[in-house]
Amino acid sequence: MKTCIVRRGLPRIDAVPKVTGEAQYTVDLKMPGMLIGKILRSPHPHARIRSIDVSAARELEGVLAVITAEDVPGTLFAFMQVMADKHILCTDKVRYVGDEVAAVAAVDDDTAEKAIGLIEVDYELLPPVLSVEDALKPDAPLVHEDKDSNLGFEVERLFGDPDTALAECDYVAEGTYVTHDLAHTCLEVSNCVVKWDKKGRVTVWTNTQAPHTQRQEVARLLGIPRANVRVISSYMGGGFGSKLVTDMKAPIAAVLSRITGRPVRIVNTRSEEFTTAKTRYPYTIHLKTGANKDGRIVVRDMTVIGDNGAYHDKGPATINFSAMMFGTLYNVPNIRAVGKLIYTNRQMGTAFRGFGNPQMAFATESQLDELAEKMGMDPLELRLRNANHAMETTSCGAEVCGCAMTECMEIAAERIGWKQKRNGADGTVLRGVGLANMVHTGGGGRFYGYNSTEAFIKLSDDGTVTLITSALDMGQGAHTAMAQIAAEELGVRLGDVIVLSNDTDLTPYDLGAWGSRATFMNGNAVFEAAREARLALIEAAAEMLEVPAADVAVEEGRISVKGSDEKHTIAEIVDHSVNEHGWTISGTGRFVDKLPEGYTIKSAFAKNIPCFSFGTQAVEVEIDAETGQVHVLKVIAAHETGTTINQIMAEGQIEGSVVQGIGFALMERLISEDGRIINDRFLDYKIPNIGDIPEIEAVCVESEGTKGPLGAKGIGEPGLVPTAPAIANAIYDAIGVRFHELPITREEVVKALREKRE
Amino acid sequence: MKRELHLTVNGVSYHRLIDTHRTLLEVIRDEIGLTGTKNGCGQGECGACTVLLDGEPVNSCMVLAHEADGHDVVTIEGLADGAVLHPVQRAFVETGAIQCGFCTPGMVLSAKALLDRNPDPTRQEILEGLKGNLCRCTGYVKIIEAVQAASCLLDEEEPS
Amino acid sequence: MEAFDYMRPTSVADACAALREAGGTARALAGGTDILVQMREGKLRPAALVSLRDVPGLRSVRREQDGGLTIGAATRLIDIETSPDVLRDHAALAEAASWIGSVQVRDRATIGGNLCNAAPSADTAPILIAYGSSVTISDGRGERTLPLEDFFTGPGETVLEPGELLTAISVPPAPAHSHAKYYKTFRSAMDCCTVGVAVLVVFAPDSRLVEDARVVLGAIAPTPIRAPRCEEMLRGKELDSALMASVGALAAEEARPIDDVRASAEYRRVLAEVLTKRALAAADSWLQKGAGA
Repeated sequence: MKTCIVRRGLPRIDAVPKVTGEAQYTVDLKMPGMLIGKILRSPHPHARIRSIDVSAARELEGVLAVITAEDVPGTLFAFMQVMADKHILCTDKVRYVGDEVAAVAAVDDDTAEKAIGLIEVDYELLPPVLSVEDALKPDAPLVHEDKDSNLGFEVERLFGDPDTALAECDYVAEGTYVTHDLAHTCLEVSNCVVKWDKKGRVTVWTNTQAPHTQRQEVARLLGIPRANVRVISSYMGGGFGSKLVTDMKAPIAAVLSRITGRPVRIVNTRSEEFTTAKTRYPYTIHLKTGANKDGRIVVRDMTVIGDNGAYHDKGPATINFSAMMFGTLYNVPNIRAVGKLIYTNRQMGTAFRGFGNPQMAFATESQLDELAEKMGMDPLELRLRNANHAMETTSCGAEVCGCAMTECMEIAAERIGWKQKRNGADGTVLRGVGLANMVHTGGGGRFYGYNSTEAFIKLSDDGTVTLITSALDMGQGAHTAMAQIAAEELGVRLGDVIVLSNDTDLTPYDLGAWGSRATFMNGNAVFEAAREARLALIEAAAEMLEVPAADVAVEEGRISVKGSDEKHTIAEIVDHSVNEHGWTISGTGRFVDKLPEGYTIKSAFAKNIPCFSFGTQAVEVEIDAETGQVHVLKVIAAHETGTTINQIMAEGQIEGSVVQGIGFALMERLISEDGRIINDRFLDYKIPNIGDIPEIEAVCVESEGTKGPLGAKGIGEPGLVPTAPAIANAIYDAIGVRFHELPITREEVVKALREKRE
Repeated sequence: MKRELHLTVNGVSYHRLIDTHRTLLEVIRDEIGLTGTKNGCGQGECGACTVLLDGEPVNSCMVLAHEADGHDVVTIEGLADGAVLHPVQRAFVETGAIQCGFCTPGMVLSAKALLDRNPDPTRQEILEGLKGNLCRCTGYVKIIEAVQAASCLLDEEEPS
Repeated sequence: MEAFDYMRPTSVADACAALREAGGTARALAGGTDILVQMREGKLRPAALVSLRDVPGLRSVRREQDGGLTIGAATRLIDIETSPDVLRDHAALAEAASWIGSVQVRDRATIGGNLCNAAPSADTAPILIAYGSSVTISDGRGERTLPLEDFFTGPGETVLEPGELLTAISVPPAPAHSHAKYYKTFRSAMDCCTVGVAVLVVFAPDSRLVEDARVVLGAIAPTPIRAPRCEEMLRGKELDSALMASVGALAAEEARPIDDVRASAEYRRVLAEVLTKRALAAADSWLQKGAGA
């Protein structure tokens, strides 16, 4: 397929405003009369609220409003309304350190801070449950007293007959794998500004990944019609899943704004960001994998126990999704996936790049190496024998279209030097190589019962193209990708495209940026809109030039006519059409991800996924045996893109994910003491800095068969999924120690090496 | 307590009455209105607030505004020459070293200061120079490439 | 941050007077990178900050006739890191300074600030103590001098009385045939509070025989501490890998670490052992390379 705009690593369209400091993020917004809101948060993991005295706070000069639960709507909320369990401000109980108890609006930050300090809350301390184990004990205190137990959710999926398969197969590997809470650490903290107009409409400016769903959530929370809510996002300093579901800042700011009649801004401090911005769900995974002598994996049996935290968020969706990926990879005929979410008096979890898949892949891809060892088989060979294939429907119903999994494995293994370095073949001590596969969605999911979106393109009489898309750019480059797709199809230059987005009053309804769906979903809609606009342009040109439409072509902003040297600009054609006839030239695109026959939300499982992205990472590590430091020397990350829309941006997504994966594997963990997170700053919650990165080779592997725009699929998340198990497998190759828990810290390595010696 | 503060920011002089507990970051963003410099942590640990103070990179959230009284500050808005990007900015744009962009102002200024001190840094020197600037999006790979590209661009610009 | 009085004296005497008048909670402000963080967190609530920015004579590195160094207390870490006078015979000090934070931090933070903040992990302290440094303290009227290792009295605590200002650090000349090294782990990360080990090894001329040794451990006790048993074990012996290993093991014993969010006590002992061994190995490899020649 010949392409001119797509496939090229063109600079992103928002790079200049960002590099000059011109780009305004929601935290940069200034509004006349804007007040600063602050939230009083519970210092206890579990307590009853006996009384709240706000009198001193209310009297402080510069304080314009102080609110508690009685001043806000009593809505119970959760991302899935059937599981609603959280109030805007706590009514009778606080359930984790950070739970919102009261809020103030004041003229400046210092005053707001002081006011918060003057609010007196009388707490009756209750015994907290600070671990899944404690929460499941028969006499455990209930996080939510209206429930029977602390079991918040459970699900089981069964395909084939796992029990028989386990009993009959030749080899079984079994183990338990543990991951912990991680923080997203977006550089821009979560924040919002909220303002009402005189007609009773409220506008929320916030760094959200999903303006339309947040609009619905805010409307629901405030108990007002959706028509009265407008959500506007802006340039966004990172998302990674943390900004999908609203938190209570928006409704709190809305109430403060309504009371005071002024705009109210609420910004997380960095400490609040670490302690209340929601985490990656910690998983404990019990796993069994079985294979036969012929190398075929025949059964996988997984039980995931997730720590839900104090309130529901994306937990059930995360568990379901990781189960879908579990069922799809390697097309294993017998699958059992059990998932449970347990309420604890700890910080809530939410979506985090990979959405349960990184945790699950750590378990499954580690265990695959353990299984290979039992079988006396090379782990690469085992994986090659079980690779997924294109145009295949798996036993759990996953419809795989384009698939370059084998190619990804071959590239990764070859470039890391698998043969030369595995098992110390090159003679080095304390160095090793490891490998891991992944599958992820490359186009979001049908979980809402649908997966569709729209786009709109209009052409100006000066030749510029305006694209209205709901694609949300949180830094991953979605707007650039959309502009490239539009430019490619429309036959204009990238610089001719202006992207309008981010405003729920303007953009068509869309589910937001998650599940690596923007390229596939929004891209398809943009493609359709561009195609329609192109046809309209050709018709207008045919009319103006008095030639048949079939003889008209559009390329690089120029209209040409077959059999003639004539060239016209788009501006000329549109100008003529608009100013001579009053006909505007535009196109609407709607992409509907067609649901498979017999689809129901409950039973769909892997049929929720319109498009799968496969990939492989191979890692070389070197261990400092004395200090336990794991040096990641090199990562080869070979990931499918279908068609690479923008090479540089795709590499950037892979590289960024790999480094987050290294953090996940070796460095990051939120540490709590009595329910309070104590490493709530960058000094103590270490994320990789520039000195921590290995040599990374990001390889975009193209393949045919994907129904994405121009054959593209998503690349936002896949890079994070296989990194940790590839590192764990490489560590095993280097020092013969198998780690079943992340992060693999230096202390753990030193301890394990000592135990191995003894 | 308020006190007179004299600051030159991007070549422009400012005289304001500023509380002594205000930081340079707050004065730049709130008082002068230049929002390109970002607040990432407020604790001097992420580098998003980096500005050049007398040409040297500092975390402006950790400098009391009055400690910079009478001194010269360059923020990200002061790098480009009108519409012409500084070579470091150009390099960041063309190498793809920008994703969400929130760390970018601080990162670019740190890179510029590094190249001012050391026009031809080794990879290790680049890592040392930018250690104080956290990025969560890019994985740093293209940032390192951008600094190398900028070094090359600046070399081309040198009058021979 | 809570309000405070802010003063800009223009002499040491005025600075001391300002500190004295403001009372016990006043602090001298140099780079501010420690103080401001602590004030933000409410850990420090000084009634007054006495800025040293306009006080002359506190910001310099001077090489003395005998090869020693006199360093003004408000000298920035970046200037110590890059000073030709420091790099000449006291390179380990420049290297220790370079470990701290980031360029942005070192462009503000000062050696005096690092010492007066008196964190158990202060990165300039161990190597300065290993060199046998002393500090000069002024009260505006007179001065007193004491060995740096007597300066610290506890975590965050020094011998400074209200109205006193640390004005200078004196570093003796590096002994002939000696090698000093400060070792901290994990260069890449901005770690501040794992373990630091400084050693100064004085060899007999043309020999592997250790004439004298100083071993100082940081972040492993309430203050930086000498490891006298390690020093004793080294004196009069030939430096070889067996000795280095034994001294390392002894350093782990002499350490008095705590458990905290950054590392466990047990792991800190492991690091003390490894870093001591490696610091000694650095001295050894310096020797092998034909040192002092």
